[in-house]
Amino acid sequence: MLDDQIAWWIAGPVMGLCVVACRVLFNGRLGVTGGFSELLGKAAAGRADFDWRGWFALGIFAAGLLFVVLAGARSFDGYGWMTRTFEGGAQLWMVPLLLGSGILIGYGAKVAGGCTSGNGLAGTSALSPAAFASTATFFGTAIVVTVLIEGLI
Amino acid sequence: MDSTLVTNRQRGAGALIGLAFGFMLCWSGMVDPDVIRRALLFEDAYMFLFMGSAVGTAAIGMRLLARTERRAVLTDEPIGWTPERPTRRHVGGSLLFGLGWGVSGACPGPVAAQVGQGMAWGTVTLVGALVGVWLYLRADGLETEPAADAPQPAVAAPA
Repeated sequence: MLDDQIAWWIAGPVMGLCVVACRVLFNGRLGVTGGFSELLGKAAAGRADFDWRGWFALGIFAAGLLFVVLAGARSFDGYGWMTRTFEGGAQLWMVPLLLGSGILIGYGAKVAGGCTSGNGLAGTSALSPAAFASTATFFGTAIVVTVLIEGLI
Repeated sequence: MDSTLVTNRQRGAGALIGLAFGFMLCWSGMVDPDVIRRALLFEDAYMFLFMGSAVGTAAIGMRLLARTERRAVLTDEPIGWTPERPTRRHVGGSLLFGLGWGVSGACPGPVAAQVGQGMAWGTVTLVGALVGVWLYLRADGLETEPAADAPQPAVAAPA
């Protein structure tokens, strides 16, 4: 059962209910980057008393592990266009590419006040104009970048 | 109620919500950069339907919450939020974010789930994301999350 992609009309609403649950239970705005920020900020201060945002992010790590245990295998192979384009020793190119992408993702999300979850999901569903501007920008940018890469490789 | 108990219940609830959220990221295929790539090339509508139904469901829930004067179940604080006006940082930050997302085919939630699944390349992206967050925290230390998300008041660390 876990081998097949779950129907979008089940997965999507469950994600939406996660956003609502954060509001109903502790008036929080769901966001993964906020969780990363909490884990990193506390860890850097030598503390481990993470707030709910940190625990939310830890739950996602645990979910990946749980999925592999229940499904008996990872849900995907390779890393998109990169593992198809770079083979053998050339795969070392993926390190700077992924590291650089990660830096842009982490820094950009902090500047924008949210990522795909915080702005794209929780922010838009709260009808925040800033979240709509963010979401339109990162979707537009990612589409252009993906089309460019597709044309180059 | 004891504030430590309240905080621990919040942490537990946060972890459970993260578990459900992350599990759906795995099951829906969002952890696979190829699924994201096909969506962004408009070859596969799944991600847009998934994202749209998530936002739609959450928006209905949020409307219902906004209409009633409810208090948060675990913290007893009034439920509320202030919509933010778009500023340059929302667009500028999202340009950088979209560039990283487009190249890697992964955003923070899926990256965390990839690492949970034991995907080594995901670890590289995660390290990058943490470096990015760190650069931001070091640069100005501003809290950009909405006020409702502000970290709880820090308890003075024992000497």
